[in-house]
Amino acid sequence: MTLLSVQDLKLEYDGRTILDGVSFDLAQGELKVIMGPSGSGKSTLLRCLNRLTMPNGGRVVFEGRDVLGPDVDERALRQRIGFVFQNFALYRHLTALQNVTLALRHLRRMPAAEADERALRQLARMDMQAHAHKYPAQLSGGQKQRVAIARALAMDPAVLFFDEPTSALDPLMSREVVNILHQLRDERVSMLCVTHDLYLARAAGGRVMFLDQGRIHAEGEVDELFGPNADPRIRAFFHQELQQAQAAQPISPAQPISPAQPMDGAQPVDPSGPAGSPER
Amino acid sequence: MISFLAQMLEYWPQVLSGLGNTLLLAAVISVTGLVGGVVVFYLAISGGPLRRRLTEGYISFFIGTPLIVLLFLMYYGLPQWGPKLTPFTVAVIGFTLNVAAYNARYLMTAFRGLDPDELQAARAQGFSDMQVFQLVILPQVMRLSVPALTNQVILNLKDSSIAFLIQYAEFFAQMQDLAIRSFRFLDAYLVAGAVYLALVSVVVVAARWLERRYVLPGVRRAR
Repeated sequence: MTLLSVQDLKLEYDGRTILDGVSFDLAQGELKVIMGPSGSGKSTLLRCLNRLTMPNGGRVVFEGRDVLGPDVDERALRQRIGFVFQNFALYRHLTALQNVTLALRHLRRMPAAEADERALRQLARMDMQAHAHKYPAQLSGGQKQRVAIARALAMDPAVLFFDEPTSALDPLMSREVVNILHQLRDERVSMLCVTHDLYLARAAGGRVMFLDQGRIHAEGEVDELFGPNADPRIRAFFHQELQQAQAAQPISPAQPISPAQPMDGAQPVDPSGPAGSPER
Repeated sequence: MISFLAQMLEYWPQVLSGLGNTLLLAAVISVTGLVGGVVVFYLAISGGPLRRRLTEGYISFFIGTPLIVLLFLMYYGLPQWGPKLTPFTVAVIGFTLNVAAYNARYLMTAFRGLDPDELQAARAQGFSDMQVFQLVILPQVMRLSVPALTNQVILNLKDSSIAFLIQYAEFFAQMQDLAIRSFRFLDAYLVAGAVYLALVSVVVVAARWLERRYVLPGVRRAR
């Protein structure tokens, strides 16, 4: 079943074309990755889908409803979409737990005890319950991102958007995020992930769309997309990213991720691991 | 000095009522100035460019104008064609307009230090603009501004003495009166200074406590 359908999305800003007719579908329970170089419009694309930015044209249908219409309840729409940011964007005056409960308390009007219980469950799902009472400044980057994901999940969203979730993280912490993507994929959480991190795109294991200059140029599995028969534009991007990745981190993107990779010395997220999970 | 203090005891009710008036004015304008500052700050960051310019103009005007001019204008000038307000009313209105401008400026400065992603995250979660302001912006800028805001309370306490010039019977006015009656000018002003210092010290201790209590975790070390 199609959860999200984007048709011919267009955005111009300051006379510059940011999105030039983007179309794709996201099915229920699917993980899709949008890759592309910096400035290709990836992050803007995500922001158009929950109306943080209003596009100039096109159609977005989410859960059977038109998102871009004039009398859409913007705030209700946003509560159905969990958004995970590159820089975590945790509320720094609140503890991890309070970060997760804020929306439950003030948007869902949930009593404190119930909100806490629900938030702790989400933090436990992210293996962060031991850090529930720490402030963002006391957490590592990977831990912050896990709290941010717990915050997004607590509202029971229909879909999770990830905007460059690993680009502020070192390779080890990126693995934490990848492990979580696997865990959530196995739980059939619908996800749309924007990244220029090849390692993430490959490790995430979803279908990949290649976005450049506001258009989607190709869609497919990672290996066919970036294989020897690929579009020269994609090959150029691939080449460049690979070189940067190898310069920055001693992990080859082709290297499989260990499913039982411990996170900060804590318990692995999923003992069966992504590699052991059935293909869907 | 001892004999002056004995004389002061004689006029104790007068001195005490002056002290009470000083504390009352300082307390009232600290509260109204803070509330006013928050309102001006909200107006400055939430509206369009016109509203931003108007609030910026308000802040610049009151920071740039000596308070004494405003007080005299209202107390001595206004009755020429309008109502005659009591000294206390004039002082509260004048100080509030002035202090609110300063407080708004402190809050705006702190606001520029916030992470814009955090505000976007709050909107992406479905919070209204008002909720983003109440739940994310205000708690952070208030904490970041504790040193500046408490400093303003100290200024309010000291500056309340200029209300003496519009016939408000506050502490310094009473000490002045005492000085004239006793011809002990030096003693009177020394005692007045010591009392202000003691009052300010109390506020300073409270301010330090507030700072420790409400420091934004991780922020102080990062700066």
